[in-house]
Amino acid sequence: MKAPGPTLAAKAGGLAIAGWVAAWLLALGALAAWRGAVPLAPAQPIAFPHVVHAGRLGLQCTFCHVNAPRSPEATVPPLSTCMTCHETIALDRPEVQKLRGYVARGEPVTWTRVHTLPDWVRFTHKRHVRAGVDCSACHGGVAQMARVTRVRPLTMGWCIGCHRTRGAPTDCTTCHV
Amino acid sequence: MMDRRTFLHTLGLLTGGSALSACTPGKDRRHLVSALVPPEDGVVPGQSVWHATTCTECPAGCGMQVRLREGRPVKAEGVPGHPVSGGGLCVRGQASLWRLYDPRRLRGPQVRDGGALRAATWDDALSRVASALAEARGAGRTGAYLSGRTTGALAALLAESAPALGLEWLPRFEPFSHAAIRRANGLLFGAPEVPRLDAARPDVLLTVGADLLETFVSPVGLAAQVVAGPAGRRWWHAEPHCSLTGANADRRLVLRAGSEPWLLAWLLARVAPSARRPLPPAVVAAMPRPSIAATAEATGVAVDALEALGAALAAAKEPLVVAGAIATAAEGGLAVAGLAALLQWTLGATGRTVDLARGEGYGDVGSLLDLRALGERLERGQVGVLFVARANPVRHAPAAWRLAGKLAGATLRVGLGDLMDETLREMDVVLPLSHPLETWEELAPRRGLRELLRPAAAPLGDTRAEGDVLLELRRRAGETVAPSYQERLMAGWRARYDDAALRAYSAAGWAEEPVSGPPVGLDAGAAAELLRGVRLSPPKPGLVLVLAPSIRSFDGRSRALQLLEEVPDPLTTVTYGPWISVAPGDARRLGVADGDELRVTLGGWSAELPAKLQPGLAEGVFVVQRDVLPSFPGGMDPATGEAICALPGPGLERTGRGGRMPYLSGSPSQQGRGLIPEPIHRKETAKRASLYPEHPHPEHRWTMAIDVSRCIGCGACAASCYVENDVPVTGAREHRLGREMSWLRIEPFYDAAGGVDFLPILCQQCHAAPCEPVCPVYAAYHNPEGLNVQVYNRCIGTRYCSNNCPYKVRRFNWFDPVREAPLDLLHNPDLSARGRGIMEKCTFCVQRITAARDRAKDEGRAVRDGEVVPACAQSCPTTAIVFGDLNDAGSRIAALVKAPGSWRVFEELGTEPSVHYHRGGGEGER
Amino acid sequence: MTGTRVGSEVERDVLGAIRRPGWRWLLGLAVSGLLAVLLHVLWGALIVRGLGLTGLNNPVGWAVLITNFVFWVGIAHSGTLISAVLFLFRARFRTSFNRSAEAMTVFAILVAGMFPLIHLGRVWVFYFLLPYPIERLIWPNFRSPLPWDVFAVTTYLIVSVVFFYVGMIPDLALARRHLPGLRGRIYAVLSLGWQGTGEQWRHYARLYLFLAAFATPLVASVHSIVSWDFAVSIVPGWHTTIFAPYFVAGAILSGTAMVLTLSIPMRRWLGLEAHMPIDHYEGIAKILLFTSLLVGYTYVVEQGLSLYGPSPFERDQYAFRAFGPYRGLFWLMVVCNAILPLTLFLRRARRSLPWLFVLGILVNVGMWTERFVLIVASLSHDFDPYAWGTYSPTRYEIGITAGSFGLFFLFFLLFSRLLPVIAITESKQALADRAGEEGTP
Repeated sequence: MKAPGPTLAAKAGGLAIAGWVAAWLLALGALAAWRGAVPLAPAQPIAFPHVVHAGRLGLQCTFCHVNAPRSPEATVPPLSTCMTCHETIALDRPEVQKLRGYVARGEPVTWTRVHTLPDWVRFTHKRHVRAGVDCSACHGGVAQMARVTRVRPLTMGWCIGCHRTRGAPTDCTTCHV
Repeated sequence: MMDRRTFLHTLGLLTGGSALSACTPGKDRRHLVSALVPPEDGVVPGQSVWHATTCTECPAGCGMQVRLREGRPVKAEGVPGHPVSGGGLCVRGQASLWRLYDPRRLRGPQVRDGGALRAATWDDALSRVASALAEARGAGRTGAYLSGRTTGALAALLAESAPALGLEWLPRFEPFSHAAIRRANGLLFGAPEVPRLDAARPDVLLTVGADLLETFVSPVGLAAQVVAGPAGRRWWHAEPHCSLTGANADRRLVLRAGSEPWLLAWLLARVAPSARRPLPPAVVAAMPRPSIAATAEATGVAVDALEALGAALAAAKEPLVVAGAIATAAEGGLAVAGLAALLQWTLGATGRTVDLARGEGYGDVGSLLDLRALGERLERGQVGVLFVARANPVRHAPAAWRLAGKLAGATLRVGLGDLMDETLREMDVVLPLSHPLETWEELAPRRGLRELLRPAAAPLGDTRAEGDVLLELRRRAGETVAPSYQERLMAGWRARYDDAALRAYSAAGWAEEPVSGPPVGLDAGAAAELLRGVRLSPPKPGLVLVLAPSIRSFDGRSRALQLLEEVPDPLTTVTYGPWISVAPGDARRLGVADGDELRVTLGGWSAELPAKLQPGLAEGVFVVQRDVLPSFPGGMDPATGEAICALPGPGLERTGRGGRMPYLSGSPSQQGRGLIPEPIHRKETAKRASLYPEHPHPEHRWTMAIDVSRCIGCGACAASCYVENDVPVTGAREHRLGREMSWLRIEPFYDAAGGVDFLPILCQQCHAAPCEPVCPVYAAYHNPEGLNVQVYNRCIGTRYCSNNCPYKVRRFNWFDPVREAPLDLLHNPDLSARGRGIMEKCTFCVQRITAARDRAKDEGRAVRDGEVVPACAQSCPTTAIVFGDLNDAGSRIAALVKAPGSWRVFEELGTEPSVHYHRGGGEGER
Repeated sequence: MTGTRVGSEVERDVLGAIRRPGWRWLLGLAVSGLLAVLLHVLWGALIVRGLGLTGLNNPVGWAVLITNFVFWVGIAHSGTLISAVLFLFRARFRTSFNRSAEAMTVFAILVAGMFPLIHLGRVWVFYFLLPYPIERLIWPNFRSPLPWDVFAVTTYLIVSVVFFYVGMIPDLALARRHLPGLRGRIYAVLSLGWQGTGEQWRHYARLYLFLAAFATPLVASVHSIVSWDFAVSIVPGWHTTIFAPYFVAGAILSGTAMVLTLSIPMRRWLGLEAHMPIDHYEGIAKILLFTSLLVGYTYVVEQGLSLYGPSPFERDQYAFRAFGPYRGLFWLMVVCNAILPLTLFLRRARRSLPWLFVLGILVNVGMWTERFVLIVASLSHDFDPYAWGTYSPTRYEIGITAGSFGLFFLFFLLFSRLLPVIAITESKQALADRAGEEGTP
């Protein structure tokens, strides 16, 4: 007579091994999922067309992003800057009406960042702008964009590549800690 | 007269204001915010603003500058050249930011209904107070206003408001009232003042009890003066226990508690005949003349030591004797203070290094006598509405008085404060005060000095300034008063200052005015009288319990701030108290080891405290820092109203409980390993043979020099480092496990004779660093400027670097560092956050180096010597730490490193640290 | 022909063992399975909450987890030793043990390999350790011994798996013949179409010899590299040139001890007494004795070096080990590793299975303690007296350690049921040889 053992043993064994392997795969899967990506061209509360302002009207970047040359943070302009023109111009456009709505409600506009770096990277606009790096080097041809899109990888290797070619410092402390 | 706008701008309101309104870029990495209007001029998002103001953690009034970033104060530092502090900022000053962000701060008014306090609106609370005031006035009961020491504009406002509200403004309540000194000076010179000392000039300095370096009047300033003393200066310190001040003196005399009169009387008799300023015959006649033998017998000080001391004082060109604190906090404290004052007089110190005319402005501070009087009045039901502001009498009054119960005698009890304490708990109405960094204020911590306080942050809770509360109450009483305390202050400044003066005042944060008093004269009759009153009774034998003041929380007012518990006590390295310090001999006798719990009993009072052995403590003396006790076991000296802090005959028994206690030192001694070589000398470096090329330092080579003779172990550097670098504060449990996170620590090493050397240890930024080659991922590496950089986001947490570090200065994040809101707002945005599993450490404040380089680049120049100041060096009250670039041949650091006496710790290991130590020699000016 | 008759017995018994699962086996499987689960649960907790759950602290950054790593790598050694080295030396008693020893090797490395990962503060970026070209343009630091570990352990794993598998091919073929149904087919696949033709045997013999020669140096290299994790550092008590031989000797000692601990009950429960004769155990016992003498010698040398050496730190360290808070463990290790094995000078002790079983366990206790003392004592008492501190493990570390044994035994129990635990063909060969010798007048 044959004991039910072998199959039982095989089952138990198979289960144990499968479980162990599965645990590892799950762990790796979780790791992959955790490193989520940021959308390249997120929708914004107001569809601000850079192509019109920076492109057609030919406004300088620093006309609105005043802090880029003098601060680590380029910062987005306050709504008062927009209103200098849009008190009078293009009042019929729906997006402009949105804008005026915000101002009327006294509510700040919260944009979704397109170019974002992890918080262990210390990037300063000031140094790059003053070193004569063109904005498009990192932000691409924003002047042709209806909706701002991230076109550069913004990875560490990419940064270092540029730093090396321009002879900029590549010591870790330049960007980290 | 400038217009209002420029006026406000000059005062920095706009920067202040905009700092308040600014958004916080960088914190939220997913979004950008378009505000409605741009921030006011002068504010650039992502860049810091420095703000001159004043520290209020103790009455000294040291200068403090606050760094504003994204609308929040993120760092406090000393104001170079400040008249009070001289440029340092003590551990408590650093912690004042923790008070601002303390999660337990009172967020809004509370009123008692039924048994308990419940939250209320300001209107409720104030109307309740107002009506009570009206009632009391109707019933003809004057109320009482008891406050902590109050100076400057608020004092003026209170002086006029109290009567207007039908209140009597009682003498200020300060646990450290220096009442005996003031009383003695009053009797002898008609000047009941705490004199301003000049501790920098004396060539022979004797301090009896007075803990100049910890809590005595103005510790930061005095510490700076003491270390700046002339070459060959001899400093003697006499006290029953072993304080940080004693540990730093050139020679510490262990007195029997209560024998101070003997010592001083003998000294007076010894030096008076040959003194610079002879005493009047009447005084000489009345002078007690104990024999040296009897004095030695009574004090327990050896005869030759007395001889040496007497001779030194007699021969000194600029002698100074100071008695106070523990020495005057005893029966006969008046005799001690009087004898010391007479010594000062006859040695010629009075008027030179002891300035009564320009005193510390303690004239209006009361003593326990006044508190007792209040208690009696309350019992007799003679008090209407009772206000208690910025003071905790219930905790500091002798427990036997049962003051808490007596408070019920008032018709209404109103408390003003920022954190709930023993006194506020007894109140019917609790009014939350804004933090000094949230309001306008002007202090006058000493005569002839005005100090400006400016709002640096929007109030975090629904709190108000004390001045506004008073004005509002008067308004409700039907008076017409200034619209707000701020307006009142500004009006005052407008009247006082012209344009330029205001600019200067605003920029510096302080202004001095000439004060002249007539030179004081000695009242011979009073002196003789006082001397006849001196009773030289043999001190009681047996055990003594000393209630010592604490450098970490002063009289206990800073006790609630966790940062101060994270930074260890300098002498025992205990972090999270309470504890009782026990001499090794006594420990053997009682059979206790570190952490074993002792029950301490004094009459009816008792407490259970874990024991900590403290070498250098005299047998029979037990020390408890008075701030850790829930109630004050001592009594009061009726002659002066000082609290008695040296208590004879405590009962001590083991409870049998005990366990691991949170202290950091693994060994009180150097174990003969020569961290501080004796004698001081430079060991030769081990020869290194390496196949790898040497690290080049083409541009800078950052180096630090620390003068151990200037280091007093106060811990200001450690606290400063905590705040600057967001060092995680982990709490008692982690400390018990040996997981402190401090990047910088001060190691106290006791020698056989009980002397203490303090050795600040931080990352030594070794040139041949053991930590670097073992890191598998280059998270630890050597950068071209000589720093051992730790790249946090590269670290995978093997902890190999820490194992291999001979200085054990690397800190591992065992858990994710968490800070309870709103403490999370106190964070340096120039640093990347460290999460669990990451190794962190000191990098000479690399963020400050980067900032300096950035500045230099903008101005198209090289970084100047002394331009980079790490947080530790900036806060050091005694400028023991010098930082600079070794490549710059002309720099101070280059000179200090070359100095013959300079050495490096564990030189024999061949790690070639960039931190050099030396004893003396280095000039520590800012 | 006696040879074939006995040979077929071997075949029957060994493969029969695959069939018969006793209640003991199922119970063991359940217990070790639960422990293995516990291991992963606790590890999960360490990852989510942080390593603060362990007892590690400021001076002591490595402790039980690394102890386990070194311990299990050590266990792995005897496998290669017994199969490869003894094969090259033509040691006949090897045949009883080599299969289980090889299995042990593989499982021990699998378990050992987990510990460097468990002890990482941020295991989710463990791949920073691997040398692959990344956009960050950074490589691992090849000066650090830890990447050496990565190579050493992975190499060892690969080689021993191959060795284990190749050695098993003929037996799998046999198993295929004996087992019907699905399992038969699985064995068929695993046996790579082995026919046992003379041709195949010739190639097979060559390959096996080559692999044996290839695996042998690893016995020395792997644990030497592990020892450099410590020897390369400057920590007093770690920074010693004797560490490599010291560790290798220790590894073989603990490995052989583990072989005894495992094979003695296995022999009993699988009823293989006939095929695992006492003489073979005596051979193993001699290896144990020899390595224990080596280990004892290194203990003496280590202390001696520190005493006569120039460094006060080293002197203090060894005094601290022998008389400090860890003295109990220190003397336990001396007794278990250097003194008790001396009993094997007696023939009776060498041939007493109960004593060998107990001794095996004691030696492994001793070897684990040795690594613990070496790691923890050195760290808790190094250069700066202010930074001294002691360490004691928490529930998490104890649980993980227990779990690692659970995982190991789980593997081994499965092995003992699913694969032929004794090299059948080799044993037949050996028997045949012996029979031949007997046959010749």
